[in-house]
Amino acid sequence: MSASVQTTPELLGEPPVTPALGAEPRDWLLLLKPRVISLVVFTGAVGLVIAPGHINPVLGAVAIFCIALGAGAAGALNMWYDRDIDALMKRTLARPIPAGKIEAGGALGYGIVLSVISVLLLAMATNLVAAGVLAFSIFYYAVIYTMWLKRRTPQNIVIGGGAGAFPAVIGAAAVTGHITALPMLLFAIVFFWTPPHFWSLSLFASTDYEKAGIPMLPVVKGARHTRLNVLVYSLLLLPLAVSPWPLGLTGPVYGVTALISSLVFVYYCWGVYADKQDAKGVSLTKDKPARAAFKYSILYLFILFLACAVDRLV
Amino acid sequence: MNVDDRMPHTGLGQTNWTDEQRAEFLRRRRARNLLLLGALAGFCLIIYAVAIVKLHEYGQMW
Repeated sequence: MSASVQTTPELLGEPPVTPALGAEPRDWLLLLKPRVISLVVFTGAVGLVIAPGHINPVLGAVAIFCIALGAGAAGALNMWYDRDIDALMKRTLARPIPAGKIEAGGALGYGIVLSVISVLLLAMATNLVAAGVLAFSIFYYAVIYTMWLKRRTPQNIVIGGGAGAFPAVIGAAAVTGHITALPMLLFAIVFFWTPPHFWSLSLFASTDYEKAGIPMLPVVKGARHTRLNVLVYSLLLLPLAVSPWPLGLTGPVYGVTALISSLVFVYYCWGVYADKQDAKGVSLTKDKPARAAFKYSILYLFILFLACAVDRLV
Repeated sequence: MNVDDRMPHTGLGQTNWTDEQRAEFLRRRRARNLLLLGALAGFCLIIYAVAIVKLHEYGQMW
């Protein structure tokens, strides 16, 4: 083939695609970001449990399935749009599109079809409020976060954090048909939890983000500024996480668990702030405190939601 | 009409494939088709289950 008529993906600015043997079914499932889905299923299920009222178990299971499917669809749309920068980062290089296993157009169609199916199915199984919030959450993640904020501002994950906060609201709305106070507080908790969670990660993965040109806080403002922000957000999160208890929305089981686990989170974030560092704030300990804070942040959110569900059940 | 005419983008016509590569291609395609079949069957079952439950509990679908 002559160079003049060559239209390889590389020349079109697309990641390389090798259609040779075709994708494995597993690759299509990986496009849905199964790790994220597992967290979404959990928070969505907690939303169902904490909602006042009753839902048929079959419809409840379908609601959780729809939340998971919608989150997966948003993940596929995210991978479609971010295929260029995914190919530049070690952490995302093996994703199905940059790895050349799935073509970009196929991933886009897949994401759109699954989005539509998840919203329609949820509307049919539960109600329009839950389906509407699910549709908005997909739009929020795929368009507001991925296409608009992610590459433009270091505050990307502060605002984008809302995307991961929707499942509990959707789960509760599936039961009640409207949006109540406790799920909104859980939304706020996830919203304020996301910045210290992601900024801890970005502290030890900042070279990857820098290479891809993503304006994460450590890349734009430096590590020292990021460390301070991690600590500040953890301090803001502390009273917010405990607030459902004094507001009478949960009992002491949740309140005490939230207080202790939040104090532990502040301790980890203090470790990030006080890490041994050079003049620019770059860690001299290979970011051990940031890695520990990142790991604990996942456990912390799990503990909060589990405590909320247990508190409702006991 | 030969196989290549009917399936122009499958790559089956690539003569430089080894038998193992051809077998692997067919295996992957069959696996994808089975996954799609399972997904469609599951979707039908979900619609059916939702319809049964909603009609039983509420007497209407919407």
